[in-house]
Amino acid sequence: MNVNLIDQSRKLSSVASKLRQNFELWNYREVLLPAMEAAEPELDKGTKFSDGENFYLIKPDITSQILTKLEDGKEYKLFYLSEVLNGGTSGDWQFGVEYVGGNSRFMIVEILNGIITALESLGIREFFVDIGSRKVWENITEEIPEVREKVFNALHHRSFDLIDEVELPEAKLEEIWQLFNYRGQNPEYDRLNSILRTVDDERIFADFGTVRGLPYYDDLTFEIYSPEVGAPLGGGGEYSFGEADSCGFAFHLTNLLEIYSDNGKEDRRKISGESEEDFRRARRLVEKGIPVEVDQCK
Amino acid sequence: MQIVLPRGRMLDDSLELLRQAVPNIRIEDNRKLVQENGEHDLLLAKPADVPVYLEEGAEVGITGRDVVRETDPDVFIPISLPFGQCRLSVGRLEEDPTPPEEMDGYRIATEYPKVAERYFESLGTSVEIIEVSGSTELAPKAGIADALVDIVQTGNTLAANGLEEASIIMESSALLLVNRIAQKTKFDRINKIVFSIREVIEDEPEKIRR
Repeated sequence: MNVNLIDQSRKLSSVASKLRQNFELWNYREVLLPAMEAAEPELDKGTKFSDGENFYLIKPDITSQILTKLEDGKEYKLFYLSEVLNGGTSGDWQFGVEYVGGNSRFMIVEILNGIITALESLGIREFFVDIGSRKVWENITEEIPEVREKVFNALHHRSFDLIDEVELPEAKLEEIWQLFNYRGQNPEYDRLNSILRTVDDERIFADFGTVRGLPYYDDLTFEIYSPEVGAPLGGGGEYSFGEADSCGFAFHLTNLLEIYSDNGKEDRRKISGESEEDFRRARRLVEKGIPVEVDQCK
Repeated sequence: MQIVLPRGRMLDDSLELLRQAVPNIRIEDNRKLVQENGEHDLLLAKPADVPVYLEEGAEVGITGRDVVRETDPDVFIPISLPFGQCRLSVGRLEEDPTPPEEMDGYRIATEYPKVAERYFESLGTSVEIIEVSGSTELAPKAGIADALVDIVQTGNTLAANGLEEASIIMESSALLLVNRIAQKTKFDRINKIVFSIREVIEDEPEKIRR
């Protein structure tokens, strides 16, 4: 964002505006958060600093920040736009959504639908969402809890070395191997299968090799990507807030911008701006929600 | 596909591995930074930059475990490779016998600030990290640092500069890296390369220098 900041901001703002509109249509409300928080163990990422007495975090991970503001037992459907700092002065602009306290199946179905309409509103149609499951891996390692951590670690890095290090019977290794490489739309996991059937979009897949690193995910996690960009467009998953099931995700806007094409065409009414009447006319149009451009006559 | 190889000490072994594992790959000897090669483009980058290329879209790369530990990139690391063996160590002036756990207040020159910071934190030692980008051995001799954290292969470079190895932080060797999105979008092509490399390593490890 340092180079051509104004031009980048215009594109970023254009994307953010469409994403806002999309999730407002799905009945989510924007949450505005402070840029700085007192450092707490519940907050992830952000840039730490101290004033000599206390420690603070600037622009931490938003999900963890939002969760410190919510009340138990309530349902929340929220979205946000923020930069998350990586420990220094640079960071990642994110647009994220959090649905807290709903029915777990309903929440992920609605969020996946929201992702589809969001990307399509940006003119992005060539994308995929791959959904993985932590529970599937917990089940397959149920009888071998001593190697579970190693298996998760191997998955996270897709490491054959780590899988080779796990001492397991051949049949179990084969089972893990099959799951490791499963990507399709008819998984042998009823819950995920039912979600895929309900969302019913050819771009949504079950992929048990999809594992996300953040510690708070419970079961399903997903990654949004496009063959046109070498880094994820976004990702998220299911987590718990107190007793409440929750689901959230974030788009990485820098990656989205790589394939977002702002055609620059605006249907804006031009007004000359020569007389007082011109401004009265412009005001009447704006009151009706019609975009205007008043020409500064020289 | 873009394959990013590390310039420097791991380049020859990386090239030899690719020659054996990837059919029809032609590698010129002129060390051009970009070599277009039919379906593959070879990019030669500084080892520390290889993960950056992988995170930004290059499909496959090779770099050291030391670099991966420092940068913690969001990439897949399917296999370790049998070359590039070295260690990341704390070095000190030969005339200074202070062990790392007693280096409180020392200025530590390094190209690996995060690994160095974590290591000294684990010892409960408070040091000042001075980030340099090469010729780390110079810093203690020039008096801008009291010790260093750097790659050591034989110890000869340290000795030649009046330094000695005080402790080993980690052992390192080369790793194969794969872009996370490419693993999904080019699943079969990536797997073909990864499995061919695995086969070469398992069948004929002696052909790849260590």
